[in-house]
Amino acid sequence: MNTQQIFRDKTDKIVKLWVEAVINCYPDRSRPALSSNMDPFTNPVGGMIREAAQGLVLAISGADIQIEQIKKSIERLIKIRAVQALSPGEAIGIIYLFKPILRAEILPQMNKPSSFSEYLDIESRLDTLAMMAFDLYVRDREVLADIRIKEIRNQYAELKRWAQNLNSNAPLGTFTGCGN
Amino acid sequence: MAKLPTPQMLMASRPDFPKAAWLDTKPLFAPGSYCYPEKKDTMELLHMPNPHDWDPSAEDWNLPENWEKILCDAFEERLEKHRSLKLFMDICVRCGACADKCHFFLGTNDPKNMPVLRAELLRSLYRRDHAMLGKILGRKIGARKWDKEVVKELFYYAYQCTECRRCSLFCPYGIDTAEITAIVRELMHEVGLGIHWIMDPVKNCSFTGNHLGIQPHSFKEIVEMLADDCETVTGIRPKTPFNEKGHEILFITPSGDVFADPGIYTFMGYLLLFHELDLDYTFSTYASEGGNFGSFTSFNMAKKLNAKMYAEAKRLGVKWILGGECGHMWRVINQYMETYNGPTPDNMVVPTSPITGTVFKHAAATKMVHITEFTADLIRHGKLNLDPSRNDHIITTFHDSCNPARAMGLLDEPRYILKHVCNHFVEMPENTIREQTFCCGAGSGLNTEEIMELRMRSGMPRGNALRYVQQKFGVNHMACVCAIDRATLPPLADYWAPGVNVSGVHELVANALVMKGEGKRTMDLRQEDLPNVDAEEDQ
Ligand code: SF4
Ligand code: SF4
Repeated sequence: MNTQQIFRDKTDKIVKLWVEAVINCYPDRSRPALSSNMDPFTNPVGGMIREAAQGLVLAISGADIQIEQIKKSIERLIKIRAVQALSPGEAIGIIYLFKPILRAEILPQMNKPSSFSEYLDIESRLDTLAMMAFDLYVRDREVLADIRIKEIRNQYAELKRWAQNLNSNAPLGTFTGCGN
Repeated sequence: MAKLPTPQMLMASRPDFPKAAWLDTKPLFAPGSYCYPEKKDTMELLHMPNPHDWDPSAEDWNLPENWEKILCDAFEERLEKHRSLKLFMDICVRCGACADKCHFFLGTNDPKNMPVLRAELLRSLYRRDHAMLGKILGRKIGARKWDKEVVKELFYYAYQCTECRRCSLFCPYGIDTAEITAIVRELMHEVGLGIHWIMDPVKNCSFTGNHLGIQPHSFKEIVEMLADDCETVTGIRPKTPFNEKGHEILFITPSGDVFADPGIYTFMGYLLLFHELDLDYTFSTYASEGGNFGSFTSFNMAKKLNAKMYAEAKRLGVKWILGGECGHMWRVINQYMETYNGPTPDNMVVPTSPITGTVFKHAAATKMVHITEFTADLIRHGKLNLDPSRNDHIITTFHDSCNPARAMGLLDEPRYILKHVCNHFVEMPENTIREQTFCCGAGSGLNTEEIMELRMRSGMPRGNALRYVQQKFGVNHMACVCAIDRATLPPLADYWAPGVNVSGVHELVANALVMKGEGKRTMDLRQEDLPNVDAEEDQ
């Protein structure tokens, strides 16, 4: 059996186990809400975890995929974890929660000389995905820093324009204030 | 020497990972999760109790010596005063219907941000003194006593609730956790704990009029600058009447719209609309902030700032007040104004539109009409000449701001207007709009930049729904009727749905408004090119 065939039978189980593993990283009192409600808008984090699980398992299995499609499937989950007061390692470490699952579910069927190198390829794909997640995480943190600066600037935008007008010698139209 | 931990061990090493029971797990004051404290001199100026210097991340918050007595007495006093509070403390059956309805819970996944447990933080203290079993069984039935860690926890979670009231919609008993949060914030103020982003505007609104404390003459000049911009776009310079006595209407809106991008374009929208109608109105520099920052502080502070608007209405001799696009101003007007400061001054009458003759009977008590009610009525009577194709580059959705939606029931007027000034309007998913709307994540004074990280998680349910309509229907614009939203939604959109612009409804109204005697419009209010302006026509 090749990798894809093995995955075909196991996908649902691996998805389920990983979703559980990620949800288990949240405080116990919060878990029921994350796992019971299936609506993507009233249980957004639960929806994000499930969406990411589907995309990630597809990529790990070695199926033909578009990189953009995989990124899209994990984008929202990385975005929320990037702002949930987690360390960078905790935020993207969820990708590595696949490893024990793969070793329990997939490795036993590939633990022979003819297919062991294929199994190693599977784990290498996990490394690629972790790097993708890290890139997304860093991009999100940069956006976070940018919007903070932009917000400060926007809050006082008119005030700054007014103050600059006071200092310039340009005619100020109907202005009657000081500086004219 | 120690062994390297596994990834699984690292993932589960968060301090709040459930080793202790939920009530014993203490919050971590990490940067990005708490607001900066207020300044001592601000609190002194405002005669707030127990002003002192303190730092939320420090071990010791320098509470006054008899802090426990102050808090117990203050809690007792409020239980006496507000029957609703006592009721909310007693009747929760912990059914959990509210648990996953709060955007803070959905974004942080912190159990104490479930409305039921947020309230439980206070209820556990109530139980000790007021429930028979609480006195006897204590912790066993979730009762506990005051200690300094409890104070920190109450502070932390009172500023992780935007008082949006979404949870109360789902509670079978109508328990309003927003009111519980409001009380906890009041209690914190009794021992001198508040935040800068709220108290500084309170001070400025009290002493000068607007939230930044800009002097009246400068405030007026900034508004005139916006009128000049209106002229650049339309060829018409709208009038800017200030502090003039004897007009029919006093117009009050949040001062954020005079200072902040993109709120200024909504303000320009008002100027142009009023000019076109030749409305008999005036602004006031003293009542130049509609947003009541006092309502994020205490009952008395909210009352004081609300009174300012009516004092100006009296001084200027106006018949009624027209209010701009604001969130919590409307909650205060709709729910509390009568209790705070009613009845209105004698010179005020039930508002009647001078253009259509419509009597706004629902505003008989407060004498204050929301601008979208006013404009929707104008459109309904065919009083505005509108060209919605000027907004053809926009596919807009509408964000229901919590207070107008849930505390006022203003759901259809903004939509009615939007559908007349834009050709492309798309709703976000049903369970995220109207009464069920998700908060922008930063209402009730939490729109400060130091907690941007917290805001991005608490605003996520809103951002998530916006992202959905962006990807599915190509939505590139979100309109709203709240100045705080105009400040908080742009960063939220930049994070969750980059490419979506945010504006007030009246910016879009003015873009579509065909004014008498206007020049050829080639730009929108942001001075960006309008669609459908033909190159040949330009020549
Ligand atoms: S829905 Fe109401 S009664 Fe049920 S737990 Fe929440 S506050 Fe209590
Ligand atoms: S009022 Fe809003 S922010 Fe506060 S607990 Fe309820 S849903 Fe959450």
